[in-house]
Amino acid sequence: MSIQHHLSDDTLLRHAAGRLGAGLALVTAAHLHGCAHCRGRLAAFEAVGGALLEMEAPAAMAPSAFSNVLARLEERPAPPPVLRAPRRAALNLPPEMTLPPVLAGCDIGRWLWLGRGVRYSRVRLPWAPDANVMLLRVAASRAVVSHAHAAQELTQILHGGYSDSTGQYGPGDIAEHDETVLHQPRADEEGCICLAALEGGLRLDGWMGRVQHRLGL
Amino acid sequence: MRAGVIQTGGARVQADVSKHEAKFSMGLRGPTLRRGALLTPVDAPAPLDAAAQARLLGLVATARDRPAFAMLFKHFAPRLKAFHMRAGLAETAAEELAQETMLLLWRKAGSFDPARAGAATWVFTITRNLRTDQARRHRGGLPEPPPEEDLSPSAETLSLEAERAARMRGALATLSEAHRQVIELSFFSEAPHAGIATALNLPLGTVKSRIRLALSRLRDALGAEP
Repeated sequence: MSIQHHLSDDTLLRHAAGRLGAGLALVTAAHLHGCAHCRGRLAAFEAVGGALLEMEAPAAMAPSAFSNVLARLEERPAPPPVLRAPRRAALNLPPEMTLPPVLAGCDIGRWLWLGRGVRYSRVRLPWAPDANVMLLRVAASRAVVSHAHAAQELTQILHGGYSDSTGQYGPGDIAEHDETVLHQPRADEEGCICLAALEGGLRLDGWMGRVQHRLGL
Repeated sequence: MRAGVIQTGGARVQADVSKHEAKFSMGLRGPTLRRGALLTPVDAPAPLDAAAQARLLGLVATARDRPAFAMLFKHFAPRLKAFHMRAGLAETAAEELAQETMLLLWRKAGSFDPARAGAATWVFTITRNLRTDQARRHRGGLPEPPPEEDLSPSAETLSLEAERAARMRGALATLSEAHRQVIELSFFSEAPHAGIATALNLPLGTVKSRIRLALSRLRDALGAEP
């Protein structure tokens, strides 16, 4: 199925600039993995970074800078850190579904109840323990209670899909919401599994409020 | 004045790296450099253009060419330092990050693909990732595993990558001051939206719509993707 919902310019620009929080960056990378169109746009925004670097007025380096670096050229790079194996709960995902490769290094917890037909699983990023990322699973044809959002949320659809007032979302699509969006998504017949990251300090009522509460935010 | 004495292909070369030296005056000799027709001539002023940067990176990748590295250092290191200082780093931290970036440039030169990105854009992504990793380590994060696969842009945009940074520079120059400011702040401000809004004393919504407008102007100016 072709992707209908892409990353916004705004989010891609911040990703290119390296200014997205680790959670939002992870979900952005999950979308980029499957979306050549957004990868092309990202390359253009990275070129903005290249242009800004080129336009910078040079700042004098320390007198020893070049000799310092020269002396290190033949240094053996530090060996890559040994990363412990990620901790994975049994998620019982649909057999045809694969998790995006960007989750490879993440711990993924077991499904926890969040509401009727709605479960979530905490995703922990060892490189950013404070990031708020989760997998969400909504049962077939189940509607989620109407809710608003944190300051910024990104939701990448991994399996199935849902519909709400902003449109229909299927595998590979990304939904971007901020605190101005109030919506009531209803999962498709297959149900919906998605990867979501939220950022921002708003306390919310309703569904996301319960997520925030359970995550101890 | 300090001089780095470097060895290449049997030829001894002195690379003058004095910070006060405004002119490009490294004594560049040796077979590798005579071969490089695209190199900026000795004593020509910096900066290097995009084609020369790509050529020099190629020499670093294939021949471990130290004079080529010296020229890239002279061009990029002071800009990297200024870039990070503008982004709020203290001078010593910016200096260190610039040096680390140049070391990584040496190590990773083999992965530079001129069909994929301009040299300056490639250097920008190296230094951006380095800064992100450092910031995460400071907050107690472990290293992020490297990406398993090489994500390339879509085929239809590939042909645009190589010269994009140069054209982007021209496009940025056509932006109004207000539009260019929000784009620059997107790169240099720690908390882009809220930070920019505070810095410019504007409502958040205004900042967001300015960013959108600025990006659409850039698109128009580039006459192409994104």
